[in-house]
Amino acid sequence: MKQVALPYQEHEHKGLLKALKLQRMASFSKGMLFLLPSIILFSVFLFYPLGRTLYLSFFLTNSSGQTTVFVGLENYMNIFNSPIFLKSLQSTLLFVLYTVPGTILVSLFLAIIANEKLKGVGLFRTMYASTMGISTAAASVFWLFLFHPSIGWLNQLLKLLGADAIGWLTNPDWALFSVSIATIWMNSGFTFLILLGGLQSIDQYLYESANIDGAGYFYKLRRITLPMLSPTLFFVITVSFINAFQTFGQIDMLTRGGPQNETNLIVYSIYQDAFMNYQFGTASAQAMILFFIILILTLIQFKLGERKVHYQ
Amino acid sequence: MKKIAVILFGLFILLVGCQTNDSPETSEEAAAEESTPEEVESEPNEPVEVVFWHAMGGALQEALDQIVDQYNASQDAVVVTADYQGTYDEALTKFNTIAGTDSAPTMMQVFEIGTKSMINSGGIEPIQTFVDAEGYDMSQLEENIINYYQLDDTFYSMPFNSSTPVMYYNKDAFDAAGLDADTPPATYQEVEAASKQITESNPEMKGFALQAYGWLYEQLLANQGALLMNNDNGRSDTPTEVGFTEEEGKSVFEWVERMINDDTFANYGTNGDNMIAGFFAEDVAMFIASSANVRNVVDSAPFEVGVGFLPYPEDKDREGVVIGGASLWMMNGKPEEEQLAAWDFMKYLQTPEIQGAWHASTGYFAINPAAYEQPIVLETYEQIPQLQVTVEQLQSTVSSFATQGALMDMIPEGRRITETALETVYNGGDVDTAYQSVVDQINAAIEQANRARGE
Amino acid sequence: MTIPLRTKIILYTLLVLAALIMFAPLLITFMMSFMSGQEIMMGNMIPTSFSLENYVAVFQRFPLVRYLLNSLVMSLLIMTGQLIISSLAAYAFVFIEFKGRDLIFFLFIATMMVPFEASVIPNFHTIRDLNWLNSYQGLALPFFAMAFGTFLLRQNFKQIPKELKEASQIAGIGDLKFFLTVVLPVAKTSLLTLGVYGFLTSWNMYLWPLLTTTDDRFRTVQIGLRQLQSQEQLNEWGVIMAGAIIVVIPTLMILFLGQKRLQQGLTEGALK
Repeated sequence: MKQVALPYQEHEHKGLLKALKLQRMASFSKGMLFLLPSIILFSVFLFYPLGRTLYLSFFLTNSSGQTTVFVGLENYMNIFNSPIFLKSLQSTLLFVLYTVPGTILVSLFLAIIANEKLKGVGLFRTMYASTMGISTAAASVFWLFLFHPSIGWLNQLLKLLGADAIGWLTNPDWALFSVSIATIWMNSGFTFLILLGGLQSIDQYLYESANIDGAGYFYKLRRITLPMLSPTLFFVITVSFINAFQTFGQIDMLTRGGPQNETNLIVYSIYQDAFMNYQFGTASAQAMILFFIILILTLIQFKLGERKVHYQ
Repeated sequence: MKKIAVILFGLFILLVGCQTNDSPETSEEAAAEESTPEEVESEPNEPVEVVFWHAMGGALQEALDQIVDQYNASQDAVVVTADYQGTYDEALTKFNTIAGTDSAPTMMQVFEIGTKSMINSGGIEPIQTFVDAEGYDMSQLEENIINYYQLDDTFYSMPFNSSTPVMYYNKDAFDAAGLDADTPPATYQEVEAASKQITESNPEMKGFALQAYGWLYEQLLANQGALLMNNDNGRSDTPTEVGFTEEEGKSVFEWVERMINDDTFANYGTNGDNMIAGFFAEDVAMFIASSANVRNVVDSAPFEVGVGFLPYPEDKDREGVVIGGASLWMMNGKPEEEQLAAWDFMKYLQTPEIQGAWHASTGYFAINPAAYEQPIVLETYEQIPQLQVTVEQLQSTVSSFATQGALMDMIPEGRRITETALETVYNGGDVDTAYQSVVDQINAAIEQANRARGE
Repeated sequence: MTIPLRTKIILYTLLVLAALIMFAPLLITFMMSFMSGQEIMMGNMIPTSFSLENYVAVFQRFPLVRYLLNSLVMSLLIMTGQLIISSLAAYAFVFIEFKGRDLIFFLFIATMMVPFEASVIPNFHTIRDLNWLNSYQGLALPFFAMAFGTFLLRQNFKQIPKELKEASQIAGIGDLKFFLTVVLPVAKTSLLTLGVYGFLTSWNMYLWPLLTTTDDRFRTVQIGLRQLQSQEQLNEWGVIMAGAIIVVIPTLMILFLGQKRLQQGLTEGALK
């Protein structure tokens, strides 16, 4: 702590002196003071590591992560020629494509049916929100068992129905889908809560006047509910996107990237290259690519979002 | 501007407060750790703490904890603290990242394929130092184990838990299919024939399962006398490419492919637990897995379980198995008292009594053959004669470069490459492509690893 | 407005069906945690006996109480740190005008796009060099600064009329006092929301605690859960599930108690 505290204090003193001398800088300094803790922490635990990651991506490393040989862009060239990395990119995109709309649709459906003023609806809301309180580790345990080929409930149910067992997590055609289902389940609680809140903040007056006009249920849904919900939806979509790209825990616990790298999502691939193969250089190159993908996607989304979203 | 000063001060207090809130405990602990050696010097009554990292989860952890407790109770000079650090891979990673810091353990269990990377890490003290200083007799250990762990006449680590792959089979299913339940199939071809017969007599049950596990592939190679890496499996020089021929390398893939075509192969992917559960649920009649499971499988199966040797191709001779499992490493940069205490614990683990109990409660074989004479082992053999198979298989192994096992630091990566290829074939992929990808990717990984060492 | 009976029936049917599906994984696990290993292995779906054996085993074999305590300390630390630091930052973004504010705000939002796993290697080295492995501050500090929290509180602070701030400035009330006496009380709900959210997410973390703790004295409960599964051996599903149930109980309770607040608060953050 002492090592950190000293330069930090000095920094603040400098800021203070400046503020005293230059009145017009006062508000800037003040703003920075409020932001200082965040900025320091972000610098140490986010921006510096990001820079360090970029640096590492130009090197080969030994097993403790020290750089040994400078290779320039070779790591980047290697991963783009590597079928494993390309596969991982593809799987990640598919996973995002399954889970983001999946989570939103499921949560939206739940939020809409739980939004009506019915007796006992509070209990249902609590149940739908419950997955938010279940950790990835615990949820993965639940699903690992459900997906179990011999004793899992899903295959037991299929057996009762007379159908063939499915290798949920071992069949490459199914694995990514299964992991997506589990992920949708895990993420739906949080999304549900936010969407429900969004629905409840819609002015009831809008519906009443629509009722007077004799509007049907789906008309109201399309013309009132969804447009009025769009800011909330926009927020939820952005968060879901970012979360989906960063998925790690359930992959590690359910499939470890298999079968045939089918579920080897990019963050897992980074983890595997860095922590299991000790190729910190290649892993860092992948991390940089992940960073840029998310950056670009988010920028696009904000641009589109600003235009489309209907603000109250 | 006073306000700013107040804010500053408040922030500072908050930040520091966050630390001081919890620092008493940590600093106390840090102080305790740092001062341990001094205390030992000044007060000989205070026991030396040995931190022991291991990767034994589940039932194995229970068995290991029991041994540690026994050791701690048996004397006052040393206290061993056993810390589970996740899987072998995770534990090794953790060690690599913190080697040389105060958080490093005194001793650590590392899997056999981590041997080279531990030596390269520079954070270890070869146990040969202690062997020489004391004149400890290592020759009492199992010969095959000495074969694996003695490199250039030096023991870098102390062997501890070793297992070999064996074939488990459902005796009741064998009987039902009209097979001889007392002679398990020995060759690939016999396994195929038996699988067919089982599936014919009971369409609900598949014949055979092979977990997509790189270790098993390595073992199946060794059993036909094939090398994994060139340069004598890396024993005469650092490997530069794979050591098996196309015929040897493909044999395993082709074997599986034939059974898939017969529809007698059960695919459980890379998951060992799924496979064993499938065996218990009578979905599959035979599978290959580490002998460390023998005790557990025999005890838990609702039918009679047989254990047989690892199969080999008909046209080859059985060469035998490579020692799996793990060994114990001593860290350098630790006070001598601590190292000596850890050495004492390592020796304790070698005793026939402990090895006997360990063998009987798990299925890892005893690295000290004297353990097989222990009453506990003899008693357990009466109940579970299957345990003996693993010992017999080990002792009938022919000593060669193939069965000595490969030495290379990128083998963990190679395993994952093999596993992906195995899965590809399990799911109907082409054998030639799968095999070629194994060779290409492993060779690339070897090259990368050799370069990254920067020598 | 009253709902017609037919719609009511349809709604209730949907509600019950959805609840069954959403709640099933938790229910099944709960049920399984009381079954013996033998029964689970046989593929029984309904327990024929009821035993607490798995719970006893899980507490006996692992220092689960210690793990729970560690998780609690870590989560509370992170929660407090996030609340203080995020609210300060959010205040600056709303009430203090200065050059480059938008750029900094964009940088803050951009941090949400950096996957923690991608920067985990250098972070680990930082904590190691500070000698903070196996310590609560090592577990908690990297998570104190939080873009999402800042974003959420910023949205909330924005609802406080600017005039209020101007008036207080004229009255000579400084920023700190305004922050403490006006802004924070008004944003109580949001702070609570963020607190619950921060607590839940930190309680559920697992990669970071896995890397930075090597000692049972500091391990968190998620890592404990991971430890229940073994690599080579057959899993004892009953024990694992008992562990999973114990792990989710504290967070589920917090969620049940704070759900309404959480929902209101998070929604305010989502709406601009």
